[in-house]
Amino acid sequence: MSSLQSTLSQYLADPSEVPGAAAEIICAPASLPDAAKVLEACSAAGASVVPWGSGSQQRVGGLVPADVILSTHRLNQIVDWQPDNMTVVVQGGVRAADLAERLAERHQTAVLAEIPGESTVGGLVATGASMYRRARYGPIRNRMLEATLATGDGRVVRGGGRVVKNVTGYDIPRLVAGSMGSLGLIGEVCLKLWPMGAAHATVRVDDPERAWATAYRPLAVLDINGSSFVYLGGTPAEVAGQSAQLGDVVSDQMLWPEPWIGSGDEVRLSMRVRPSDVADAVASLPSGWEYVAAYGVGEVSIGCPKVSLDELADLRRFAEARGGALVVLDGPTALYESFDPWGSPPSSLDLQRRIVARFDPDRIINRGRLPGGL
Amino acid sequence: MGLAEELVALVGADRVLVEPVDLYLYGTDASIDRGPVKNVVFPESTEEVAEIVKIANRYQVPVVPRGAGTGLSGGAIPIGSSLVVSLTRMNGIEDVDPINMTARVGPGVINLDLSKHTKALGVHYAPDPSSQSICTIGGNIANNSGGPHCLAEGTTVEHILELEMVTADGQVIVLGGQAPDPVGLDLRGVVVGSEGTMGIVTSAIVKLTPNPLATRTVLATFNTVEDAASAVSAIIARGIVPAALELMDKLMTVAVERFVGAGFDTEATATLLAEVTGHDSAVDAELEIVREVCELHDAKAVRVAVDEAERARLWLGRKSAFGAVAQMAPDYYLHDTVVPRTKLAEVMAKVYEIADRYDITMMNVFHAGDGNLHPLMAFDSTEPGMLDRVHAAAKELVEVCVAAGGALSGEHGVGIEKRDLMPLVFNEYDLDAQARLREAFDPDGLFNPGKTLPEGSRCFDFGRPVPEGVWV
Repeated sequence: MSSLQSTLSQYLADPSEVPGAAAEIICAPASLPDAAKVLEACSAAGASVVPWGSGSQQRVGGLVPADVILSTHRLNQIVDWQPDNMTVVVQGGVRAADLAERLAERHQTAVLAEIPGESTVGGLVATGASMYRRARYGPIRNRMLEATLATGDGRVVRGGGRVVKNVTGYDIPRLVAGSMGSLGLIGEVCLKLWPMGAAHATVRVDDPERAWATAYRPLAVLDINGSSFVYLGGTPAEVAGQSAQLGDVVSDQMLWPEPWIGSGDEVRLSMRVRPSDVADAVASLPSGWEYVAAYGVGEVSIGCPKVSLDELADLRRFAEARGGALVVLDGPTALYESFDPWGSPPSSLDLQRRIVARFDPDRIINRGRLPGGL
Repeated sequence: MGLAEELVALVGADRVLVEPVDLYLYGTDASIDRGPVKNVVFPESTEEVAEIVKIANRYQVPVVPRGAGTGLSGGAIPIGSSLVVSLTRMNGIEDVDPINMTARVGPGVINLDLSKHTKALGVHYAPDPSSQSICTIGGNIANNSGGPHCLAEGTTVEHILELEMVTADGQVIVLGGQAPDPVGLDLRGVVVGSEGTMGIVTSAIVKLTPNPLATRTVLATFNTVEDAASAVSAIIARGIVPAALELMDKLMTVAVERFVGAGFDTEATATLLAEVTGHDSAVDAELEIVREVCELHDAKAVRVAVDEAERARLWLGRKSAFGAVAQMAPDYYLHDTVVPRTKLAEVMAKVYEIADRYDITMMNVFHAGDGNLHPLMAFDSTEPGMLDRVHAAAKELVEVCVAAGGALSGEHGVGIEKRDLMPLVFNEYDLDAQARLREAFDPDGLFNPGKTLPEGSRCFDFGRPVPEGVWV
């Protein structure tokens, strides 16, 4: 590692700039070509690399060792915002909160995390985090217009384009969403934007399933630990008209659930089922567990204080029997060794392996972080 | 046994074409090229498709999947004597699920038939290419087809939840699923739009969309195309995303009026067809924004369709545009490019300048809200020198759009037509990455070879030194 360290000397970061990162070598290149040089050197040395935004999602779907942590905190520019075209080009290390604040100047949104904390655009894209408003705007991959990657072997490659409709070549940007960095470091993306509604409301409802069936294109319908809410956004007339029909308005703002912060022993899970199975999924949870169930989407985010492997296996069986999955988002390190964080790999695993091999031939980035140990 | 005999043994003689006159019909699509067809086979099940692929592999014959043959970029035209696999008999609509709002469809289902099938449930299949009454959903998947209503609803890829696909080695795999975020790489999104080069889709679970509660359709006319284009950009900038924003120029409205009599003003230089949909209490407010912006951009007149019959007539006019052109000249060449919508007015001025300079009749009807242009050249190919002029003008059109920050194609695909223009928007590393992706699916180039990527896209093909460590 020491010769690699000297090769990378000009890209090294002070560890205090990258809180939470633990590796012998921490790099923070200031450009995508520099990131590609770091990766090329790591490939040559056979060093494992973990890309690092804010570190908030490093336990999603697996814990992998890092010889080198590649921080994106110097890739932090909003490169080109075209408000009238409703597109924005940002580097991967831009904090989602900073982007949201900037876009709000013109009442636009990239529909990233509702309460983003420290998370970065690159991290949210890598984990495919689509959050609550996907009920209205679809998953994050639908907003990926262009992506520029530094591949594992040190190439800079770009796919897609900066227009809202495009079939010029294969849709690499869409493939990057949820790729866990396996195709390359997510250096820069162009995202499609949406206008924010002029009015909003959070409406308490009794029956979330019925609310989903009756509300016209809500932003979200959530059951939060047994209390259900419809989130509306749009013109004032639409929001007022719909609210009155649906239930009791508790706020003219969006009261999103606070991000779940567990202690070291607690486990955070994502259960994914067909939308029609959400109510049954909630009913299958042991009492006392915290959850947020997204109606119309099919995702139940779960926080559990103490959980046995048998309970986890039961939940996974429930989800997989319905064509879904149970994914570990966070938990004690020992759990990752005894319980596969993804569950059954997809039927296309061999194909996925061949694809990843063509972007990261030495398999240095987040090795083992994808399902099936890929 | 030869290829044809093996195919006949598998599916029967009535589902294999061998006669030259039959094969000739399958050598082209709705574009202007033609290629050689070895045989055509009509499978009726996934298992048959898998066996057909294995047979083609044994004979090393390229496989060209085909839907209705309405593609405009040559994606279904064989290059080198090929086996055409027509999916039109796999046209079942099953498992319509009103709770999850999904349906399982075969690739041969006609786009519009699905919406007709689900009409009673109050849902529809949102992607609506103008050819929707004849094109297949399998073809739409291959091209990631759009349509006027993709402005708000997204193109085909946003409506595909799960794909069953036969791979190059004849295996059947399932990509995606009905639960959100299936684990692993999301390969369904890259297969959609891959123009039949990654596999043969044999079944899809599609997302259905609730019919809007209320719809308002607006017809605005302008004295210049630039005014209309600026109005489009300004409507979006006001923070609403209408269901559709379609623009037609005068030549096109005249042709459409002669063809179907939709009620367009044939004196207007530009006509904007805008549609807002949504909750009853929202559409009128959005309608007023559209009206106000049009008036601010010097609209001659703004008219709201009074009833569903008038709305249907206006949309029939819009979707009949390409049929209407047939009366103007014996031949036409329809282009498809995209620009950032803020560049619409500037690019349209250049489009007309190109038409003048080459003395070509250029008509325009396009998805203005997406910045998706469809310049259409109407001409007589028997006129000496005309085809050369058309090709030269087409090349300039693409260059103008790329220079404005645009892309080669918004919805018709790259196919053969734009394959060799790909280096205008991608460098050799970008093209190599796409070639690697394709190679992972289909290492021997069995599926639809010669489409989408130019020759030599894979880096070692063009003799550039390969950096150390690069996978080759």
